[in-house]
Amino acid sequence: MRTKKLTACGLLTAVALALSYLENFFPLALAIPIPGIKLGLANIVTVFALYAMGAGPAFLVLAARCLLGAVFAGNMNALLFSLLGGFSAMLVMTALSRLRGLSLYGVSIGGAAAHSCGQIAAALLTLGSTAPMYYLPVLLAVSLFTGSLTGLVSACLFRGLVHVDLWKG
Amino acid sequence: MNMKRRPKLRPAAWDGAVVGLVLALAVGCGVLLRGNGGSGEMAVVSINGEEVDRFSLAESAGKREYLANGYVLVVAVSSEGVRVAEAGCPTQDCVHTGVISRSGQSIVCLPGRFILRLAGGTERGNGPDVDAVIG
Repeated sequence: MRTKKLTACGLLTAVALALSYLENFFPLALAIPIPGIKLGLANIVTVFALYAMGAGPAFLVLAARCLLGAVFAGNMNALLFSLLGGFSAMLVMTALSRLRGLSLYGVSIGGAAAHSCGQIAAALLTLGSTAPMYYLPVLLAVSLFTGSLTGLVSACLFRGLVHVDLWKG
Repeated sequence: MNMKRRPKLRPAAWDGAVVGLVLALAVGCGVLLRGNGGSGEMAVVSINGEEVDRFSLAESAGKREYLANGYVLVVAVSSEGVRVAEAGCPTQDCVHTGVISRSGQSIVCLPGRFILRLAGGTERGNGPDVDAVIG
């Protein structure tokens, strides 16, 4: 069981890194010119890990993704952004996923909004100025759409897995 | 491998509460942070959180060059406002931001840690400033 979980964590990290790379082909920043604006596809992996394996493994996958992503991009500046954004999203989604009334959509939207707040916090720390705060309203509004998108993809993923061994245990 | 928790796959009524909360936060921040709406007369340029230049738009038509952490940024000032015309950074978000002209608006280049912000004409260099350097 431990080996199975470890393998799943490794695979999920690889998928998250691939999704982060894939995101570059959908340059949302061209439509809305704000630094750091993106679809947040890697969040699908966090949502999946959170529900399928629990908060602990999801946390490990996220940490590995942020570290390796920054190493591969050769940009350690980006590490603070992905760490603060990713962990804010993770914490909020862990809390929201415990609320029975919420579906994957509500959890994903909450996560996307928290990701925006975390990235703005990273920008405030990096730039030493409150100027990035002005981007927060737009980023939050956009997170409603990106969060719904990742929620939709996650819902499709779990639906597809209903007939897979993973679902039945 | 068992699922830790079985997620709800269809949108639920309570999701609306999350959407409402995020919207309220967005609108709230927007109202709190909106510029004073006046025309921006002074441009303030900071690199690495330190103010490096401050100029009046009316008196500075033309181009200015800055070196920000290895990236060259060309700022163009015209009667419409100010924009980053060229940047050596990989993301080009600052160039895509386009022209800004209202007080409170800003253009940010993250790789260069460069900020160009517009302030009203009444604001003075050493006066109280919401964008005071904090780090």
